[in-house]
Amino acid sequence: MTIGAGLFYDGKTSARHDVAVELTDKVLRVTDAQSRVLAEWRYDELESVATPDRIMRLARKHNPVPARLEVADPALIAAIDDYAEGIDRTGKLAKRQRGHVIVWTMAATASLLAVAWFGVPLIAEKLAPIIPVSLERKLGAAVEMQTRAMLDTASASGVPFECGTGRGEAAGLAPFAKLIARLNQDAGLPVTVKASVVRRKEANAIALPGGTVYVFQGLIAKAENPDELAGVIAHEMGHLAHRDGTRSVLQGAGLSFLFGMLLGDFVGGGAVVVAARTVLQSSYTRDVETAADAYAVDLMNQIGGNARALGTLLTRIGGATEPGMKILMDHPDTRLRVSVINARARASNGTPLLDPAEWAALKKVCG
Amino acid sequence: MTSPPAPAASPFPIRFTGDARAYWRLLTRGALLLMVTLGIYRFWLTTDVRRFLWSSTEVNGESIEYSGTAAELLIGFLIALALLVPVYAAFFLAALDVGAFGQMSGSLGIALLFVLGQYAVFRARRYRASRTIYRGLRFHQEGSAVRYAICATIWWSLTALTLGLAFPWKESRLERFKMRHTFYGTLPGRFDGYGFSLFLRGLPLWLLVALPLAAGLTALGQSFDPDLLDRAFAESSNDFLERIARDNPDFAGAIVFALLSAGVTLVLGLLLYPAFQAIRTRWWVSGLRIGAITARSHLRTLPMYGLYLRFAGLALLFLLALGLAAIPLVMIYGALLGNGDVSILRELAASLIGLGFYVVAMLGLSTLYRGAVVMPQWRLTVESTELSGLAGLDHVEAAGEPGSPVGEGLADALHVGGI
Repeated sequence: MTIGAGLFYDGKTSARHDVAVELTDKVLRVTDAQSRVLAEWRYDELESVATPDRIMRLARKHNPVPARLEVADPALIAAIDDYAEGIDRTGKLAKRQRGHVIVWTMAATASLLAVAWFGVPLIAEKLAPIIPVSLERKLGAAVEMQTRAMLDTASASGVPFECGTGRGEAAGLAPFAKLIARLNQDAGLPVTVKASVVRRKEANAIALPGGTVYVFQGLIAKAENPDELAGVIAHEMGHLAHRDGTRSVLQGAGLSFLFGMLLGDFVGGGAVVVAARTVLQSSYTRDVETAADAYAVDLMNQIGGNARALGTLLTRIGGATEPGMKILMDHPDTRLRVSVINARARASNGTPLLDPAEWAALKKVCG
Repeated sequence: MTSPPAPAASPFPIRFTGDARAYWRLLTRGALLLMVTLGIYRFWLTTDVRRFLWSSTEVNGESIEYSGTAAELLIGFLIALALLVPVYAAFFLAALDVGAFGQMSGSLGIALLFVLGQYAVFRARRYRASRTIYRGLRFHQEGSAVRYAICATIWWSLTALTLGLAFPWKESRLERFKMRHTFYGTLPGRFDGYGFSLFLRGLPLWLLVALPLAAGLTALGQSFDPDLLDRAFAESSNDFLERIARDNPDFAGAIVFALLSAGVTLVLGLLLYPAFQAIRTRWWVSGLRIGAITARSHLRTLPMYGLYLRFAGLALLFLLALGLAAIPLVMIYGALLGNGDVSILRELAASLIGLGFYVVAMLGLSTLYRGAVVMPQWRLTVESTELSGLAGLDHVEAAGEPGSPVGEGLADALHVGGI
């Protein structure tokens, strides 16, 4: 049995008790100068709490009252350490516990990444088809507002965003509408397509949830015949048919939630969240683009147009875009896409979708 | 039965005993683990940091104890998440509504999240107080977090509306609210600092920072020419200023002057920040009371500059080292994206390199800040504090229960967490 001196706080008042600490076989006993027993703690109940290195502060596990015993005598500290297995002055136990924590948090991280990589697209996949068209239209209106604000640089300089309003432009609207109507007739989409040509220099087109399609001015300029333009619009209709826009909004929301809240703002700044979201989302889009291509080819086959024209246009604009962060453009390898398109395409029936005069007018829709 | 407390060695009976090297070790390991766990490790790091700071602080020869655990923080965070998910879902749906409500939901959401954040700040303080143990008794905090959140929102709005002039009164009112509801056992706390005295001390700084900007804006206002501005914007131009200078040289001069004065304001703001921190800390510490115990701060301004200067130097060195380390990475990055038609996998790899680099930079800087600013500032504050009336500490009775960690979780999820 070892005896030494200590300081005791009983947890009821802040009074400081100079005590004798007695280490019996079963318990650690604390007695005051009048030999009154202030505490008897079993060794397996003891825990040491954080203090400066030179002293040991003991508490009783699961004790609602924060009574504390402080020992400064190195010999007594060593003796207590021997008696109580749960106490480790060397920090070996704490190290092992921390090891467990690290393994588990890393496992949790891996599982969260798996959710982001596989789970979020899967949930969006299942959720997108059951979202009613009315809600999708509202979603589309909200997305359209943001997209317009982002894309519309023309209005600031006094030119309307939509083409076909200026002098000499209006004649292009009718052939454009004709092309859309021709595609719409056989597409059988759940939503009506509202397509318009907008003033953006890029050779691109986008489809928003709810049926809005923006064909960029740059695409009209790059297209050499109606079938090429029709191919791209059919591709965008494919996105609408597969509800890709809605799915992408759902994915974005899911990923923002996952990265933004669960993982916390540990480096101060949402930039990581946005970047991680962009990277992940663009990796989802590969299959989506392939599916939209397939849809476009089928639709072009159906209306008797030249389905290969989409591939021709893709090759042309693919070569023109600058290298660099193509991941943000979310289109998979152009060459691969073109070969898949060509394998699926049938020959056209020879009737052009627009006659040369109509095509010439459409080419001038943005002046 | 009780003996008088041992006489303290330092002039003040409060000291900081922490070993800086141990603290840096803790932070570095924490930063590495934060990186590989995408931040989940933060609950453990936060707990380690608090344990270190608390237990290194000695009052009257007894160190303070932080008894919170990482598991509690994690649970608090999960509960907070469960509470916030419906709120976020509601905002998401509201944003879809294109009507007036949908238009408003954005700003309404921000306002609501601010109030909720202040609510969380107060609840988190309750958790921390009840996990702070000294001489076998816990601190605790009472009071309505809702009332605090409303008060804080009003005072923060006033501070913003008065361009910071109401800041001293915001500080004193909110601190008063917090301290009035803080107890050590049965001993009630209070705050005796006055907004006006902080205002007087801070006013010179405010004027130094605000005057250049005000001068710039006045000059801009006098020669403001909206038509010219419209025209210059309309001609989508790179030589925006040149165009204005041709049509109205006064206006162009005013724009340049305004930009310069904004720069001066920014630089002065940065230069005066340590002085501001010193003034504010001095005022705050000197207002703290618990029972008959009073605090008085002798914090000097110069050491405060020293620690911020050291942080700036360390941050510069770190960024320099990072820049050197970046050279091979940039080459890999270029090789991955070099030739025109690149596969999505290589793009993904390149993006991940960029992202990883950003994370390392931010994490490194935040670690440096914690190590070179937070801890030294804590130490300076502690070591410059004079406590009197400590005799009252000997016979305090226990009161209060451990508080729930949900407030901490909310604060974490809303990114308003404190120390």
